[in-house]
Amino acid sequence: MRKLLLNIITFSLILIILIPFFWMFSTSLKPLPEVNKIPPQWTCKGMSFKSYCDMFMYLPFTTYAINSFIIALSTTFLTLLIGSLAGFAFARCQFKGKEFILIVFLLSQMLPGASIIIPLFQLIRKAGIYDTPVGLILVHTSVLLPFVIWLLYGFFKTIPQEVEDAALIDGCSKLDVLLKVLLPLSLPGLGATALFAFLGSWNEFFFALILTESDTSRTIPVGIGLFVGEYRDVWNQMSAAAVLFSIPPLVLFLMLQKTFVKGLTAGALK
Amino acid sequence: MKKYTPYILLFPALALTIFVLVYPLIQNLINSFMDVSLIKGCKGWNGFRNYFNIIHDGVFWLAFKNTCIYAVLGTILSLITGLGIALLLNQELGKINSVLKFLYTIPWVISPVVAGFAWKWLLNDNFGIINHWLQSAGIIKEGITWLGSADTALICVILARVWQFYPFAMVMFLAGLQAIPQEQYEAASIDGANCIRKFFHITLPNLGSVINVLLLLGLIWSFNDFNMVFVMTRGGPINSSMVLPVLVREYSFVHFDLGKGSALSILIFSLLLTLSFIYLKVISQRESI
Repeated sequence: MRKLLLNIITFSLILIILIPFFWMFSTSLKPLPEVNKIPPQWTCKGMSFKSYCDMFMYLPFTTYAINSFIIALSTTFLTLLIGSLAGFAFARCQFKGKEFILIVFLLSQMLPGASIIIPLFQLIRKAGIYDTPVGLILVHTSVLLPFVIWLLYGFFKTIPQEVEDAALIDGCSKLDVLLKVLLPLSLPGLGATALFAFLGSWNEFFFALILTESDTSRTIPVGIGLFVGEYRDVWNQMSAAAVLFSIPPLVLFLMLQKTFVKGLTAGALK
Repeated sequence: MKKYTPYILLFPALALTIFVLVYPLIQNLINSFMDVSLIKGCKGWNGFRNYFNIIHDGVFWLAFKNTCIYAVLGTILSLITGLGIALLLNQELGKINSVLKFLYTIPWVISPVVAGFAWKWLLNDNFGIINHWLQSAGIIKEGITWLGSADTALICVILARVWQFYPFAMVMFLAGLQAIPQEQYEAASIDGANCIRKFFHITLPNLGSVINVLLLLGLIWSFNDFNMVFVMTRGGPINSSMVLPVLVREYSFVHFDLGKGSALSILIFSLLLTLSFIYLKVISQRESI
């Protein structure tokens, strides 16, 4: 009896928690006159996916989406490449200053975006990459790198040293060990890390807002975040954009939930 | 292995970190003692003038107060919600459990910008569903301008923040709960302890270190959080929900005073550095690096 009650609570609570999401989805299906109707209704006549097309046609979301994909994918690739080199060095080599560098990486994770944004803005403007995807890729990669290194360091550490020694005896070089032995073995870890890097860049708002100014280089979160004052009353189209924008993170998370949660708790607790 | 191999492997990561994170931090410190404007350029040193101006700006103190409320209240409420739901999900529910876990994590997986946008629409004074419900239940007569009035704006943003952040706490608590040895509960049952006693004497003490880490991470992240406030209210109305990160943008890119903006971000940084060092202490106690 008590168990049944608890189950009912568990099931109904999630429905309440997801109301903002349901409401946004319902809005995205409504034609504009129904959106601005008092009192508001959950369903109405003529619900359709029309806003999803309109948003791409009338608002610059095609450009935003292309930018978001380019930036997030490049960031994922770069952080994984640079991060696995560094993670390997930390997990397998003994060298001077190791602990100090690790702590610098750990602390730079905590660095508030607000405390570096002004010089970064000046630097990027001087370098001529202000308001370009290249600038954002550079910043996203650097900002996500510390956490990625910590995650990969953790994953590499779990792979037994013996496997590597065997490869070395067989005549592999250190680089071969990294590419042919360690990387394949740590694929699950790399997958989770890639997911983290992709999501981090895909959802990032602060730097994307301040380091871009024109529609040609903005990303989707900036488009949604700046909504008020720009496309004032098209809540249905904006909701459609927000729903579509949430699909990649949801799908990725669903696919890699287990590894991701493991990586998260490991990364944050270690 | 050659002596300098690790340094070669580390070089790209270090170069990026120094170029994009360390150098700006130092430049920021220099900026904060200078008269720099986004439009007029740099006009040379001005000592502690920027810091002086900030301390005499009423908006700064308001934003400081709001940031503390936002960080403390937001974190504590997220932790309580996260722990409650983790306890619910920790029962045996069979196969449906992983589906439920996924559903409960959704607010955290979607972008904070989407979360802010969804809440903003939900709380809309004319067309939002919340006012409609409250009106049909007879609790209020007129729709409340939740985000448009100084009394309610900050509270609403905090609620949205809790909605968005609790899943992180939930996931960590679930991991923590599963690590508690079952024998302790069995022993307590034999001794005749009820649920509440078991919770306070077994569950909570075992989760102690998870709670520490979550409190610190939550405080640090909330203190830095720009997105939720910016998307929902932009710090308004009349600065009533202004927080420090949003104020940095306001000083630098709305009033074009980069020097004052830098000085403020140095202040935020020093506060966070203190918190981060505590975090470092806490985790290095858990496990040596």
